Amino acid sequence: MRFSFSSIWILCLFSFGVGCGAKDNSDTATFRPIQTENAEFWHRQTTVTAELMETIVAQFNAENPSLPIEPIYAGNYGEIYRKVTTSIKAKTLPALAVAYENMTAEYAQSNAVVELDSWVDHPEFGLSEDDINDFFPAMLDTNRFTEYDGALLSLPFTKSVLVLYYNKRVLKAAGLTTPPKTWEEFITQSKQIKERTGKFALSFDVDCSTIDGILFSMGGQVMKDGKTQYDSTESIETFELIEYLFKEKLAYQNPPGTFNDETDFGNDKIGFILRTSSNRPYLEDLFNDHDAWGIAPLPQSDLDNPKTVLYGGSICLFNTTPEQQEAAWKFVRYFTSTEATVQWALGTGYLPVRRSAANDPKMQAFWESWPDNRVAFDCLEYAVPEPNISGWQQIRNRVARAATEVISSMSTGQDAAIRLKKDADAIISKQRN
Amino acid sequence: MKQRILHSALWVGAILMNYPFLWMMLTSLMPLEQATKNKHGIWPETWNWKNYLDAWNAAPFGQYFINTLAISITVTVSVVLTSLLAGYALAKIPFKGRGILFALILSTMMVPFEASIIPNFVIISKLGWYNTYAALIVPWCANAFSIFLVRQAFRSVPNDYFDAARIDGCGEFRFIFTLGVFLVRPMLITVALFAFLGSYNSLIWPLIVTSSESLRVIQVGLTVFSGETGVRVNLLMAASTIVILPTALLYLITQKFLMEGAGQAGIRG
Repeated sequence: MRFSFSSIWILCLFSFGVGCGAKDNSDTATFRPIQTENAEFWHRQTTVTAELMETIVAQFNAENPSLPIEPIYAGNYGEIYRKVTTSIKAKTLPALAVAYENMTAEYAQSNAVVELDSWVDHPEFGLSEDDINDFFPAMLDTNRFTEYDGALLSLPFTKSVLVLYYNKRVLKAAGLTTPPKTWEEFITQSKQIKERTGKFALSFDVDCSTIDGILFSMGGQVMKDGKTQYDSTESIETFELIEYLFKEKLAYQNPPGTFNDETDFGNDKIGFILRTSSNRPYLEDLFNDHDAWGIAPLPQSDLDNPKTVLYGGSICLFNTTPEQQEAAWKFVRYFTSTEATVQWALGTGYLPVRRSAANDPKMQAFWESWPDNRVAFDCLEYAVPEPNISGWQQIRNRVARAATEVISSMSTGQDAAIRLKKDADAIISKQRN
Repeated sequence: MKQRILHSALWVGAILMNYPFLWMMLTSLMPLEQATKNKHGIWPETWNWKNYLDAWNAAPFGQYFINTLAISITVTVSVVLTSLLAGYALAKIPFKGRGILFALILSTMMVPFEASIIPNFVIISKLGWYNTYAALIVPWCANAFSIFLVRQAFRSVPNDYFDAARIDGCGEFRFIFTLGVFLVRPMLITVALFAFLGSYNSLIWPLIVTSSESLRVIQVGLTVFSGETGVRVNLLMAASTIVILPTALLYLITQKFLMEGAGQAGIRG
């Protein structure tokens, strides 16, 4: 071939250099709505939950016909994130989309997200003080962003808490009648399961939220004064707990990204799984027998001061036209009303965002049908959200890596926690610079 | 004896290669509980043919199929056409800067798909093509790999054919479409197959450039069975079985040419 490959590389490097040097002027941009006839709402719900959401949207549209909300399935959270970040570059956005809070923080860097405090205070369409107080504190805390002076940038959508699912048949075979309330009891029961049945007690899914949930239940914090607390005593205890469970062969690791732990749980191969409360409907289908399994709050270190982690998606509104913003705000206000949040919770397994849901007769009937249905709701009063800072996704990956190192005996729990603290703080300071 | 060992090895290989397909088809007929719990072997306890109906009704798969086939066929025809013309020109028409042009075309293969999503989307958006068939088709109507393959195929054809045709007064276009197509036919079929499969299996790009249900493609349809808290394995496998039928059929029809084409270009699996 009569050409020089070096010329290609020079060209590629030049193109890359131009790309890297290109100024992102999104912060001064105005965003066009993707369409003007409707307000597009990008979500990730499928099948039954998508149908329910469309029902709720239809109810809303019937009362607000001027600019209807159009729900659009846009893939999973990761795919929606890519779709939104790509659309931000093209300066064209939907009216609203579901997002994890750390994603919202990144969208906000491009000035793409509507600050909701002004809508909350809106004289005509705002929320009253009673409304605000009706939200569980964690539901709003998780949507307030310290990086943006505590501004409210999103509202809760698919929220759930970390709970302990236990297999009654396995516990019974091990001579146990009730699930553990504390981590000490959890270890004792796990050993008993191992000794009497030969089975593993737990299939552990390595996930940052699960680890943070355990850390909260140990009385610890993830962030304080802008620094992570992964080297705290409680964090070290969390990683040492994981280390102990694996060292003693009381737990095994669930293959990442799979739900094999639920399969093994349904097949009576293990006694416990630590998973989000929104998995309840799936486990209902799997067991179809309330005598076979149960739901319990996360074991605690201090029963007088319980904690668990709040997780799940929120909805953020985008900076497009005033008409689109108004339609989107009215919709999220409707979606988080007591009536709609109960309807959503009963049909999906996600949790109601308001305390007043407890007074709803349908909610009460649901809890009476099986008392364990109420466990997650009761956890909401003390649920703690994870940080919503930029770069949190990277820290999440580091947390999972630290746990994997402990599980694979590459590191002790203490060393992994201390190293994690350094890595996480480095990510935060890099983001700030 | 030697042949028996060879045949046995081939049988083992064939069974291993086909086992995932068998598993997919059998799982598609299981009740959810058996499919999820992964118990009682791979044979369904009850044959739930209704899974196929449930999977089909879980999303507008009919519309998705029509869209996917329309897009994939258009992309395939376009890729074959552009790579035929470009491949011929780069192989047989001498012109100034041909080597540099070919190098530039090849250099586009070094840009990963992920890196091209944002600029491509910005262009599509500025052209007003968001949520149109054009956005799904036009960016994929030509690609460097196909051009490279066809160019290599044309280079292996002796120049005597071209010289003889020219002496008889045959123009370039006439030569390409009357003789050239047949001379590089196995490679064109290979290129067509790759283009069709690439288009048929694409997920991220269609998801990014469309929001209307009426423009969605089959791979987007498959994602509806995976929720945040679990996967409806039996329905997903039923839908997957339906979805792979056209590609499996296409492969069976074109496998002879695919082998020839792979041989010509020195491709290994």
